[in-house]
Amino acid sequence: MSSRWSEGLRTALTLRLGLWYAGLFALSAAVLLSFTYLLLGRALAAQDREVLESMLQRYGVAYQRSGLDGLRALVDADESEGRHERLLVRVTNDKADIIYFAQPPGWSGFDLGALDDVRTSPAGWVELANPIDDSSLEVGTRRLPRGITVQVGRSSRVRDEVLAHFRARALEVGLVVAIIAIAGGAFVSYLALYPVRALEAATHAILETGRFDTRVATRGTRDPLDRLGDRINTLLARLERLVRGMRGALDNVAHDLRTPLTRLRNVAEGALDEQEPAALRDGLGRALEEVDRVNATLTALMDISEAETGTLRLTPEPLFVAAVVDEALALHADDAEDRGIAVASRIDPALRLVADRTRLRQVVANLIENAVKYSDAGGRVDIGAAATPETVTVTIRDTGVGIGPADLPFVWDRLYRGDASRSARGLGLGLSLVKAIVEAHGGRVDVASTPGQGSAFTLTLPARGHGHGPTPPP
Amino acid sequence: MRVLVVEDDRSIAGFIATGLRQEGFAVDVAEDGVAGLELAQAGAYDAAVVDVMLPRLDGLSLVTALRHAAITTPVLFLSARHSVDDRVKGLQTGGDDYLAKPFAFAELLARLQAITRRGQRAVEATTLTVADLRLDRLTRKVERAGTPIELRPREFALLEYLMRQPGRVMSKAMIVSHVWDYSFDTGTNAVDVLVHRLRDKIDRTFVPRLLHTVRGVGYVLKVE
Repeated sequence: MSSRWSEGLRTALTLRLGLWYAGLFALSAAVLLSFTYLLLGRALAAQDREVLESMLQRYGVAYQRSGLDGLRALVDADESEGRHERLLVRVTNDKADIIYFAQPPGWSGFDLGALDDVRTSPAGWVELANPIDDSSLEVGTRRLPRGITVQVGRSSRVRDEVLAHFRARALEVGLVVAIIAIAGGAFVSYLALYPVRALEAATHAILETGRFDTRVATRGTRDPLDRLGDRINTLLARLERLVRGMRGALDNVAHDLRTPLTRLRNVAEGALDEQEPAALRDGLGRALEEVDRVNATLTALMDISEAETGTLRLTPEPLFVAAVVDEALALHADDAEDRGIAVASRIDPALRLVADRTRLRQVVANLIENAVKYSDAGGRVDIGAAATPETVTVTIRDTGVGIGPADLPFVWDRLYRGDASRSARGLGLGLSLVKAIVEAHGGRVDVASTPGQGSAFTLTLPARGHGHGPTPPP
Repeated sequence: MRVLVVEDDRSIAGFIATGLRQEGFAVDVAEDGVAGLELAQAGAYDAAVVDVMLPRLDGLSLVTALRHAAITTPVLFLSARHSVDDRVKGLQTGGDDYLAKPFAFAELLARLQAITRRGQRAVEATTLTVADLRLDRLTRKVERAGTPIELRPREFALLEYLMRQPGRVMSKAMIVSHVWDYSFDTGTNAVDVLVHRLRDKIDRTFVPRLLHTVRGVGYVLKVE
């Protein structure tokens, strides 16, 4: 349903865009043609008048130079040369008698009587309309000495024909323009809406299949629509990770809580059989302990899942590495001392990094706890740190039992317990949490170990923090 | 001291109310946000325990409304969600403290006492005494039956904490928060180790034993 709706929207958008393009294109072509038409008409009219003026000038000069005879001779000569073929020439004397008259054939319909009225007025122009074919006759009048008047006229018929021809051509051009406009509009809207179609195809696929691994096809043009596609892809990648994380977390929670819940149940059931009040109280106490353990497991699982999906809220601040390590150390110093393990931290007190204080302390405390837990009396735990301009590394090295090569790749897995740790107290989530928190900080954690000689865990963290949001590697 | 408990889960509400009554509080219980708000506005309470998730009106809105009505009753929020965001939001809304479910009653009591004490700093004695155990806060000297006992700073901090309210059970989380200034449950055995060391110094060679483990709850200093 929604796809049909977006289909309709998209078609409407394509159509609108195409129509806009075609309309604008046609409009500008029409404006251009009209303007050309107007200019052409003007130019033709100006040219006609120029011809008339030059003839009048010619006859005027001839008359002034050699009198009526000279004028007559020139008019005759012009006539014989065919210059009057397209002109009306009329010469009158002071008594309004027509001395000379020439008119191209077929110029009927003009009311030439009007020319007499013009003759008496000062030199000027008159335009006679031909009611038959809508053409007009433009006549220029020149008054010469001794009452002689020369009138030269030209019909607009020739330029009307030219303009009519132009109009006919313009219609043809207009047709071509319309075709180009429509085809261009379709093409442009198709091209412009390509990213939108890609976007729609991707979202449609996601809605249909429910899979978040679909991506919007982008062209790398870096235009706003292409960037939008990239943004949506980033969003999808984040969503995909989140959804996968959530699904995993749910499975993990269900699985990881069953064991402590079973213990809790067993403890409670066992307590029910007790008759002695003291034993009953002890059973209840143990049940409470199990409840706390279930709760701690749940908290750890949630933390891991949030860190892995990038939803763990971190508050990065500038920290002194040595201070954070000392705080973490304080939690396990007594335990280490009681068990005869020497713990030493040698870190430059001025060494700083940007990280979430509570979480970093949790990570270091976790690693120290492990180091102490898997060491025997007489063992050592050494904590050191080093810095490059970009990173700070913290190394927790112990002389404990170490981790076998077979177990090493799995130490980060949730609830994984190697042979050495199977009997040790703990949730089995510590190292998973360490890894998740460190990666949420944009860092990484590595382990090197030799069985029987000890292990070294190295945290590598960006010295200047990791922006605002945690973004584990893809 | 009158305390209002707004909690929709009857079992939890009953547990809190019974526990508080045993401690000498007068307790009223409301089972939804609207009823809770009405009670809080009508009666003068010394403190309120408010669940964040409530029917009809959630806890945060309830406290916001209270504060708008210029009622400054200290509020302890309860929430099943563990994220720090909730905590911050609760405190920004006008809550005075925050306790995550599931919780130990001892911790609820301690926090409730802390928020009602706030502002009226009690004058605390410089010397604490439980049976023949004496602790001097100024000289930081501890002796039992006249025998001086050498304590490390953390051991001293733990003993002082337990002696301040003898007979009251302190949970591991409370001890971690007091001695190490950690605000979250670390899931470590640090408290057990510290208690073991302290017990070794104050109890091992003396009778009767004073430092007791209450299984599943925490530790208490008392004469049995």
